Order: sequence, then C-alpha cells, then structure tokens
Amino acid sequence: MTLHHYLILAAVLFCVGLMGAFTRRNAIVVLFSVEIMLNAANLNFIAFWRYSENPELLHGPMFTLFAIAVAAAEVAVGLALVIAVYRHFKTVDLESMDTLREE
Amino acid sequence: MNEVIAFWILSAVAVLGALVAVRKRNLIHGVFALLVFFAGLSGLFLLLLAEFIAAVQVLVYIGAVGVLLLFAIMLTERVAGDDGRRMTSRGWFWGVVAAAAVLAMLIQQLPPPEAAQEMQEINPSVEELGKKLMNPYVVTLEVLALLLTAALIGAVTAAQSVRMPKEEDSPE
Repeated sequence: MTLHHYLILAAVLFCVGLMGAFTRRNAIVVLFSVEIMLNAANLNFIAFWRYSENPELLHGPMFTLFAIAVAAAEVAVGLALVIAVYRHFKTVDLESMDTLREE
Repeated sequence: MNEVIAFWILSAVAVLGALVAVRKRNLIHGVFALLVFFAGLSGLFLLLLAEFIAAVQVLVYIGAVGVLLLFAIMLTERVAGDDGRRMTSRGWFWGVVAAAAVLAMLIQQLPPPEAAQEMQEINPSVEELGKKLMNPYVVTLEVLALLLTAALIGAVTAAQSVRMPKEEDSPE
C-alpha cells in the first residue's frame, strides 16, 4: 500500500460527505455528512504521518486526537441546535427553515 | 499481501457505508450505515498502525456519536422517511456536480507518486502519546478541556425548552 491509495480513498470519502451535505434536506443527515468529511480528513492525517520522514514526532496522531475531540463537541452542539430548531419550526427540513425571526 | 487485501476490504466497507449513510431514506438505517463507515475507518487506522486512534474512533464515534445521532433522530419527526416526500434538496444535481468537481480537483493535486512510498517502521506506544500530550501539547489539551466544557454547557442550554410567556411582551 502506498500513500496514494490512502489519499485517494480519503478524497473519495470526503466527496461522498460533501455530496450528502449538498444534496439532502434533513438537517441530521447534513450533520453526519459533515462527520464523514471530518473522518476523511483524519484518515489523511494518519496516512501522512505514517509515510512521513520522522513519524516519531507523532504529529499526525496528536492532531487527529484533537480533531476527534472537537468533532465530538461539534456533534453535541449541532444536535442540540437541531433539536432547538425542531422545537421551534416542528421540522428538520432545511428548505423550510428559511427565516431567522419568529413569524 | 494480507495488508493489501485488508486495505481493499476496509476501504470498500468505508465507502459503501458512507454512501448508504448519505443516500438512505430511512434515517435509522442511515445511522447504522454510518456506524459501519466508522468501523471501517477504525480498521484502516489499525492498518496504519495507529492503534490508539482506532480505539478512540470506536469509543467516541461508534459509541458516543452514534447513540447521540440515534437519540436526535428519534426525538425529531419522520424517522422512517416513507412519506413520499422529496428527500433531496432543490438543485441536488448541482450539489453532485460540485462534489464531483471537488473530487477531481483533489485527485489532481495528489503529490507525485515517487514521494514517500515507504511506510516508516516505528511503533508508537500509547505511553509516548501521553508524554507528548503532557510536554509540548499541554496548552492545547487545556484549551480542549475548556472547549468541551463550553460545548457541554452550550448543548444543554441550546436544547433546553425555553418557555417564554407569549402574552406579556417583555421589552428586550
């Protein structure tokens, strides 16, 4: 396996996530599309680390660990926002949430 | 040889899981496909000898994020998605085109194939990671702790039901 295999795989996964975020209407599906994109980026970090000149510095795993922690926080806040918006609009359909103020 | 087979199987699992998660109409099925994707990615991390990251992936994503997503889906409406409504957004075609364009651009920007083909032989232990976390990255760790606390409080306040009295107009 070369670095290229991993990079191409990560690019494909990233674009699957991007496609989901662009094409779905449900806010929760968009949220987990973003998760797919974040995970593809993590795969890139680890792959670059394994094929780097001096992997004993552990830059890749450290960055990935921090990225995972931030992603976990993001999911928690994102889902809380989705639930708050659902309580207000009675839907999680992104196309019907097109106003910022109360009607 | 075994490594090559494992790579192809795991990447197929990851890509298929991601595709099904993104395209499935039933959201619960979608979340389970997403968990398959996370598991495949965790296997790929193992293949890259990042065993601690693989364990964290299983714990955080399959454990915590999966359950959180399931709860959020069950708290909102239309779980099964069998009501015949459109599930794609307006202009979904251009979304697919944009994603394909990004993919083409990313593939084009790959580093030259002769760069870094050899996997370095080291074995990072969890102990080494812990030491790194304490010595150069301690400020990052503390900031992250602060961020997680803020996210926890923010999530609770955002999801709390705000009961505002509709009758009396409070001057804001």
